[in-house]
Amino acid sequence: MSLPQFRILQPLTLDEACRMLDEHGSESMIIAGGTDVIPNLQMRLFAPRVLIDIKPLRELAKIELSRDGLRIGAAATLTHALETPWLGEKFPVLSSAISTIAGPLQRNMGTIGGNLCLETRCRWYNQSKFWRQSLGGCLKKDGDICHVAPGGKFCWAAWSGDSAPAFLALGAEVEIASAAGTRRIPLEKFYKNDGKDRIALARNEILTAVHVTASMSGRRGVYHKLRVRDSIDYPLAGVAVAMDVDSTGVCRDARVALSAVNPAPMLVRAAAESLIGKKWSRELAEEIAHVAIRTGKPLTTSGSTPVYRRDMVRVFTRRALEEVWNSAQQSS
Amino acid sequence: MADGVSQNGFSIIGKPLAMADAVAKVTGIGKYADDLYVPGMLIGKILHSPHPHARIRSIDTSRAEALAGVKAVATGNDARNPYGILPIGHDERALALDKARYIGDNVAAVAATSAEIAEQALDLLRVDYERLPAWFDPEESMKAESGWIHEQRPHNIEKEYHHVFGDPEKGFAEADFVAEERYYAGEVNQAAMEPHSTLAIWEPHDRLTVHSSTQVPFYLHRTISEVCEMPMSQIRVIKPLIGGGFGGKSEIIPLEVAACVLAKKSHKPVKITYTREEVFLAHRGRPITIVYLKVGITRAGKITAVQARVIQDGGAYCGYGPVTVLYSGALLGAIYDIANVRYDGFRVLTNKPACGAMRGHGTVNVRFAFESMLDQLAHQAGLDPLEVRRINLLKAPCITANSLRVTSYGLPECIEKVFERSNWKEKKGKLPYGKGVGVACSHYVSGAANPIVRSNMPHTTVHIKIDRDAAVTVYTGASEIGQGSDTMQIQIAAEVLGVGVNRIKLVAADTELTPIDLGSYSSRVTFMAGNACLNAAKDMRDQIFAAVAKKLGCPPADLVAKNDRIAHSTDSAKGVSFDEAVAIALEFHGALVARGTYAPPESARGGNFRGAGVGPSPAYSYSAQVAEVTVDPETGHVHVDKIIAAHDCGKALNPLTVEGQIEGSVYMGFGQALQEDMVWQDGRLMNPSLLEYRIPATKENPQIDSIVVESIDPEGPFGAKEAGEGSLAATIPAIANAIYDAVGVRINSVPITPDKILEALRAREKAGQRAETNSLTPEARP
Amino acid sequence: MDKQLIRLRINGEVHEIALSPNRLLLDALREDLGFTGSKRGCDDSSCGCCAVLVDGTPMLSCVALAASYENCKITTVEGLGGPGNLDSVQEGFAEMGGAQCGYCTPGFMIATKALLDRNPNPTLDEIREALSGNLCRCTGYMQIYESVKYALERHGSISSSVRETPSTQAPAVR
Repeated sequence: MSLPQFRILQPLTLDEACRMLDEHGSESMIIAGGTDVIPNLQMRLFAPRVLIDIKPLRELAKIELSRDGLRIGAAATLTHALETPWLGEKFPVLSSAISTIAGPLQRNMGTIGGNLCLETRCRWYNQSKFWRQSLGGCLKKDGDICHVAPGGKFCWAAWSGDSAPAFLALGAEVEIASAAGTRRIPLEKFYKNDGKDRIALARNEILTAVHVTASMSGRRGVYHKLRVRDSIDYPLAGVAVAMDVDSTGVCRDARVALSAVNPAPMLVRAAAESLIGKKWSRELAEEIAHVAIRTGKPLTTSGSTPVYRRDMVRVFTRRALEEVWNSAQQSS
Repeated sequence: MADGVSQNGFSIIGKPLAMADAVAKVTGIGKYADDLYVPGMLIGKILHSPHPHARIRSIDTSRAEALAGVKAVATGNDARNPYGILPIGHDERALALDKARYIGDNVAAVAATSAEIAEQALDLLRVDYERLPAWFDPEESMKAESGWIHEQRPHNIEKEYHHVFGDPEKGFAEADFVAEERYYAGEVNQAAMEPHSTLAIWEPHDRLTVHSSTQVPFYLHRTISEVCEMPMSQIRVIKPLIGGGFGGKSEIIPLEVAACVLAKKSHKPVKITYTREEVFLAHRGRPITIVYLKVGITRAGKITAVQARVIQDGGAYCGYGPVTVLYSGALLGAIYDIANVRYDGFRVLTNKPACGAMRGHGTVNVRFAFESMLDQLAHQAGLDPLEVRRINLLKAPCITANSLRVTSYGLPECIEKVFERSNWKEKKGKLPYGKGVGVACSHYVSGAANPIVRSNMPHTTVHIKIDRDAAVTVYTGASEIGQGSDTMQIQIAAEVLGVGVNRIKLVAADTELTPIDLGSYSSRVTFMAGNACLNAAKDMRDQIFAAVAKKLGCPPADLVAKNDRIAHSTDSAKGVSFDEAVAIALEFHGALVARGTYAPPESARGGNFRGAGVGPSPAYSYSAQVAEVTVDPETGHVHVDKIIAAHDCGKALNPLTVEGQIEGSVYMGFGQALQEDMVWQDGRLMNPSLLEYRIPATKENPQIDSIVVESIDPEGPFGAKEAGEGSLAATIPAIANAIYDAVGVRINSVPITPDKILEALRAREKAGQRAETNSLTPEARP
Repeated sequence: MDKQLIRLRINGEVHEIALSPNRLLLDALREDLGFTGSKRGCDDSSCGCCAVLVDGTPMLSCVALAASYENCKITTVEGLGGPGNLDSVQEGFAEMGGAQCGYCTPGFMIATKALLDRNPNPTLDEIREALSGNLCRCTGYMQIYESVKYALERHGSISSSVRETPSTQAPAVR
C-alpha cells in the first residue's frame, strides 16, 4: 500500500512547529514515531498535505523531574520512559502501563505524545481503503452508518492507548502549545469520549508534554491489560490503579482509570471516595470492581466480546487493587 | 531399507547440519520473489470485488488505460480458460469472467510504471455489478435450492463422500461407553511471513519466465500454459527463496496468473506482490470445520466404532477441497486399530475466499475432535487417557480398515517417550486446580501415493552431473521453502558419494534446468525427492565404482566411498582420491551423468473405492504430545507452560531441521488452539492483518521440548519419513485435554478463547457442580 | 510531489538519492539502494521483518519516512556481516536453525544484535522480551533462542541458564 502524497516539514524549534501548524492548519498532521500515523496513512484514513515531523525536536524529548514534579516531553520515546530508572520507582503505574505497549521495536519509535494522541480504534475503521469502501464506509470515515451500533449517530471507536489510563490515575496534566502560546489542562479534559473527535486539540495546536505533580511521586500503582498476545496487541481492556497507602495500610488517595472500553480513557470517579480512608478488604475491592464496570461501556469494536471485556474490567480492577495494597504491605 | 544402505557409520546422515542456504539468508544476500528487480519492470495491482456474490455486467477500463504510466489492463476476457489444482476442480479464473464469488475475488488487473500509478488506475476502473444472494454459513449453504455459487455444483456442495469400513452398528452395540458431540474449528490462515509475490518476464522468442513464491513450480508451469495458451516449452518457472509456505503457496494463486497475463499483454516484466490483506483474501487456509462425532469404547478401553459427519466450509472455489475432506476421513481412524468406521464428508461452497491445503492438510480439525472425545471417553470409563491410546495401537506392519498400508509405526515409542518426559503418572489428575496435563496423538502422510494428475510417470526425478572440476551438481525439481529440502538432498548425495557437503552444488526448482518434482506439499519431499536423489547418487556411485574397480583390478562391490576417497573396503590403502576417481570415470564413461526417480510402489496406493486415492502414502509419521497448562479460572486465560512432542520421522536425516519442523508444527497448533481465528461477518474478513490475526509471538508461546523417534521405515531414504506436518494436529487436542484436566471443562470449539472457558465454568457453576480446589481429578469433583 | 536529495548513512557508507517525501525508509533501502535484506511482512508495523538499527536501536523501517532519518546511522542485515565475516548473531541463526524460511530472520537478528550489545548475558525471559516485537511463523521460536544463545556464547559470556529459565509468564492462580 503506497502512501498519499505529502510534504514533510522539519521544524528546528517548537516555535517553528507552531508557526507551521498555524500556516497549514487542517491540512497538516504531526508525526513523531510514525507507528500509528504511517499505517493509518497507508489505509487512507486521512490524507494530510503536510506532515510536521517533531521527532528531532530535542526540547520535546526530555524526561525531567523537578520540584514541580514529572514532565515528559511529547516526543520522548516509550523506550526512553521505560529506561529512565527513577520513573518506574517513583511512578510505577507508568512503567507498568508503558511496558505493555506493542513490542520493543514499536516502543523504540513510538512516543509518549503519540500514545496520548492515538487514533481511536474500531474493527470497522482500521481497515484498508478497499475494505472500507466495500461496505460504504462508517460513521467515523466516509459514511453515515455505525456498524457497531447501527442506527446510532455516535462513534464508538475505542480509546486503545495504554499510557493514558496510567497518567489519568496520577491526575496528569497536558501541556499544549500553539502560535498563540501555551496552555495546560487536566488530561481528563483532553479526552472527549467521542470516537470521531477524540481529543481537545485544535488543528493549530500541538501536545508538547505531560505533567505529573510531585505529590504523586511514590504512589503505588499497576496497570492490567487484556490482550491476546503478550506483546504487539492493542488493549482489549485496561485498568490502571494508583494509590497512596499509609503505613497502617489505610488508603489516603486513589484513582482508578480504564482503557479500551470507551471512546476515551476514563477515570472511575466513584472509586476514589469509596477507597479513601479504607483498609484492604476483598469486599471493598469487589465493590470498586463493580463500580468500574459501570464506567466501562465496551461494544463490539475489537476482537473480543463486550461481555468478556466488562468481566475483565471487574477482575482486573480487583486484582490491581489487591496488588497495590499488597505491595504497600510488603514494604511497610 | 533402501538397498545397499546400512544404518551404521554415516558420515553426514543423522548429523545436525546448518541449512545449505543459511548464509544467504542471514546475510540478506538470498533473493525472494519480491527482492527481484529487473530493468523496465512494471508493478501490477489487482482490483478485488467489494461484493460477496455478484454478476459482472461490464467493466470499463478506458479511463484506467488512458492514465499515463499504465501499460496494460487485464480482465477475465484476457484469460478465459478456467484452472484449478485438481483436474476435477477447474472452476477458477485469475480474473473473474462472469461472477465475483467473494469479497476480494479478482476482477481486473493493471500494470503500470509505479505502484502509485497502478493504484490510481484501479480507482479508475468502473465495474457494473449485479448483486446476488450470498451464502456464508456452510450448513445454510447446503440448503440452497437455486442461485448456486457454481451452477454445476447443486446445493453448493462441491463434493461429498460416504465411506463405511467394517460394521459400525455392530461396533457401537459392543461399546460400553458411547460419546456423541459436535465440534467446531474456526478458520485459520498460513500467514507465512512472506506475502506472495510473482515476477513474470516476457522474453525474446515469445517466451515467458516466471519467478514466483510457489511450493509447486510444476503445477504453476502447467497452469500458466493452459491459461495463457502457450506451450509449456515456452515457459520457464523459477522458484526463488520462499518465505514460508505451509500450504498457502501450494496451488495456483491468482497473482501468479495475473502477472503472466499482464506480462504477455504488455510484453514487459511485471511484478505483483500482495499486501498482507491480499494474502488473507487469496487465503487457501484451513477451512471452518464442523465435526459431528460418535465414538464407542469398551470398559477395557478398546475403540469399537467411529462415526463422523464432517462439513467443511471451503469458500468460493474448489481448490484442494475434495482432497481435504477425503484426508479428514482417511486419517480419522487410521492412526489406531479401529475396525468399524463410518465417514460422511461434505465439502461445501460459500461466498468467502477459497480454503486450501494448510499444514496437516485435512487431519487437524478431525484429530482435535477425535482426540478430545477419546479423552472424554477414557474419563467416562475411569481409564487413564494415555493408557487408552496404548490399548488401541496398530500392530504394524499392517493394512488399516480403509486399506492404508502401514510399514513403520513409531507411535508406541512416541507415547512412551512423552509419558516418561512429562512425568505423566505423577501429574495426570494430580495437579492443583488450574493446572493440568493432556495427551493426544496424530499422524500424517509422507507424500501422497497417488499424484494429483494420475499417470505412471515418476513423482520425482533427480539428475546428478560430475565433470572435470569434480564438483557434484545435483539437479532437483524439489522446492526448498524453508523446510530443508535442499540440505536434505545435499546430505544424501554427499553420504552416498562419500564426499563433503561442500562439494555438492544443488540446482533446484527451475523448470528449464531441473527435472520434475511435483512440489512441496503433503510432506512428500524427504520421502520422494530424497529417494530419487538417493537413487541418482547410487547410480553415480556405481558408474564411478565401475571405472575405479577396473583400474584397481577389484570387483566394484569391494569399493566404498568415504572421506573423499574411493577405496577398497578392507584395504583402504588401495584407493584413489575422489578427484582422481572422477578423472578415471570420465576416461572410462566419457560423461558422468546419473539419474534417479521415485514413484510409490503399487502396494502403497490404497483401496479401490470412490475416494480411495486420497490417504494412501508410502509411509506415515506419528506424533504423541503432552501439554501442560495453567488456567486462570477467573479470567479463563490459558497459559501453555510446556509441550512435549515426540515425533516418529523414520530417521532424522538432519536432527536440527527435524526438531525445527516439530517445534514449528507445535507452534502453529498452539496458535490455532488458543488465538488464531479468521473472523467473518457477512463474508467480510474482520481481521485481515498480522495485528488482528494473532499468530503467536515469543512471550505467550510455550516452551516446546521435541523428541525425535526413529522407526526406520523400510522404504524411506535411509529410513526417513515426514517431519514437517504430522505434529501439528496433536497439539490442539493435547491443550484442550490439559484444560479439562486443569479446570474440568471441555471446550469443543477452537480457538479456545478465555470467554469460552469462563462461560463453561459458569455453566457448570450454575448447574450446581461447583468445583473445589485441590480435588484430584476433574470427574471426582462433586 | 517533488523529490528531494537525501543523504542516508547506511552500513557505514553515505548514499545520496533523490526521494519523494512519502518514501518509506524500507522502500528506499529495498528499491532505491538494493538492500533487499530488509523485508516487508505486514502493513501495520506488527511483524518486525523490516527492522534496522538506527543509531544502534532497532526500529521498523516500514513506518519510518526516509527523509526523517537523514542524519542517523542505519545498519541493515547486510551491514552485520557478509559471507566470510559473519557476525556472531548471523552465525548463530545459521548454525542453530534460527533461520528456516529466513524471511523474518533479518529482523530477528537486528533485534538480537541490539539486545546483545546492551545486555551481553540475557536470561531467556529477557531474550523473549527483546524479540517480542518480531513474528516468526516457522521455528516456534525455540531454535531462535538457541541461535541467540550461540551468539552470546561467541560474544564471550556464557549463560548456562538460557533454555532452563522457567517462564514468568504464567498467571498466578489463587
